[in-house]
Amino acid sequence: MTKSVLVIGGGPAGLSAARALGKLGVPTVLVEKENKLGGRPVLESYHTLIPRKMTPSQVLGPYIEDVQSNDNVKVMLGTEIETCEGEAGDFKVSLSNGEKLEVSAIVVATGFQHFDARRKGELGYGIYPDVITNLQLEQMFSKEGKLYRPSNGELPKRVAFVFCVGSRDRQLGVTNVHCCRYGCALSGLQASEIREKYPEVDVFCYYMDVRTYGTWEYPFYWAPQEEYGVRYVRGRIAEITFNPADGRLRVKHEDTIVQRPAEIPMDLVVLVLGMEPSPGTKKVAKILGLKQDPDSRFIVPSDESGSNIRSNKEGIFIAGACKGPIDIESSMAEGEAAAMEVLNFLGAKVTV
Amino acid sequence: MPIHERSLIESERVLRKERLVIDGIDVSGDWNLIILPRTVEDYDLDFAKEIMESPDGKTIQQCYQCSYCTASCPVHNYWDDRYNPRHFIYLARLGMVDELQKRVDVMWRCVSCHKCTHRCPKGVLVEDVLKVILRVMYKRGLIGDYPSKKFDQFFTESVLEYGRIEDGELLFGWMEKQGYKIKKDPILRKPIPFFSDIPRWLKDMVSKPIKEGNISFIMLNAKHMLFHPRTKEWNKFKQVLRRVMEEEGALAKGG
Repeated sequence: MTKSVLVIGGGPAGLSAARALGKLGVPTVLVEKENKLGGRPVLESYHTLIPRKMTPSQVLGPYIEDVQSNDNVKVMLGTEIETCEGEAGDFKVSLSNGEKLEVSAIVVATGFQHFDARRKGELGYGIYPDVITNLQLEQMFSKEGKLYRPSNGELPKRVAFVFCVGSRDRQLGVTNVHCCRYGCALSGLQASEIREKYPEVDVFCYYMDVRTYGTWEYPFYWAPQEEYGVRYVRGRIAEITFNPADGRLRVKHEDTIVQRPAEIPMDLVVLVLGMEPSPGTKKVAKILGLKQDPDSRFIVPSDESGSNIRSNKEGIFIAGACKGPIDIESSMAEGEAAAMEVLNFLGAKVTV
Repeated sequence: MPIHERSLIESERVLRKERLVIDGIDVSGDWNLIILPRTVEDYDLDFAKEIMESPDGKTIQQCYQCSYCTASCPVHNYWDDRYNPRHFIYLARLGMVDELQKRVDVMWRCVSCHKCTHRCPKGVLVEDVLKVILRVMYKRGLIGDYPSKKFDQFFTESVLEYGRIEDGELLFGWMEKQGYKIKKDPILRKPIPFFSDIPRWLKDMVSKPIKEGNISFIMLNAKHMLFHPRTKEWNKFKQVLRRVMEEEGALAKGG
């Protein structure tokens, strides 16, 4: 085992893969496009992570520290891969900084990007300042620590969450028909946080169905309603307009349970963004020749293995959100699973 | 413009007049028919809050609209499908008062069988919650003295007086209150069902034990009609109960 392992991506999945490999004594190179480790949660200043309501620094801080302090792991920031030749056990990878690496295995953890809400023009994002994304709401909490209407800086009396913006939507073509998996739960959490801090603010969630699967059902669907009094209305918001008479937004929808059209005044509207494969994921998949889902362009696991960590190419393993929407916990678990798959592939023996 | 879905337009939203003045402008001649929009313009959250904050209405927040209650409800299934507990809960939670008001003629029809409450997978006390909705609507003057409320009062009075009810008195007394002409004997003032102007089903119910020769049943009822059944030592308890109920505001003073 002389050659090292290449991990592409320094987010939750990549970090945990590199950390596990490093701790087991495998020489590892971690390549990250941005100038900071931690991925989306750190780069975009998430406030609280689902499902365990911890901050990104609590969750990812120790992992970043472990990776940076481990002599087996070489971290290369601001670097991307350019080309890859060779085969399993003997990959020759050239990087954007001109370096060339010889690696025996590759872990791809290139992640996702948030949907650009401007593509849904009818929702008025980018037109009305009080229409924001759930990412902006997270940053409002984490950076400014308060809730306000961007148009006038005042506390909104009413907040609406619009579910599935850029998810489960054939109008955008075949690329965004999948479910984002985190949106329902995160909205429940954000809505609870608002109600907890500002009990005078009424919060409404406009949903088609609520997918807080597994153990998330209680903390992110019922606690918001039973403990914090968040209201759920069944109907997809079709249009957001602005009424100059009272300076408030109107969310236009059909209340499908009442079967009536409705235009309800709101002060702040939060769009719950879907997940798409990041540009890095698409690029790396192309360079490495990995199989992608023809519609969403997420990387798909090998048909021949029951493991969803193995790619269609031997010696290349995939983990985290480059394979499709996933929560941070599972992403980190997949990173570690990828590290184990790499060891298995290298035939390494760990002695204790 | 042609009307595409007539069933969605309630007649009170159709303005058809000889002279039509809208916002002070006389538009007759150009239009004689206007259909008011059915768009919901806002929620009445105070209404919803009042329900949620009452002790017996709190569980309304736990509802997830599965409709177990409505599917179990005998009133919905065998009487009138406009009586829909699930829908009432949804409307009340959002404060869609105008929608509730459209249904006031059926909302009191709960027969308190409690199937909904026993079956609810989320532990919503459906029957209680529906009573709270009625109570709040009554308090706000959105609904008048509805029959089930009047019956409850009548029933309570009987129990307060004797400690228990007498079926015949309750039934015929209630029919009389509903406006049916009940014939009574001149001495004891007891109802005589066969000469009264009462519904067919009630006459059948009364004549059934006679036809079947159910002597013990007839004797028991006759005894109860002549001597109203009464709980032992009820008088003392009645006084205490009345006083407590008056203090709690559940009973009008001196009532």
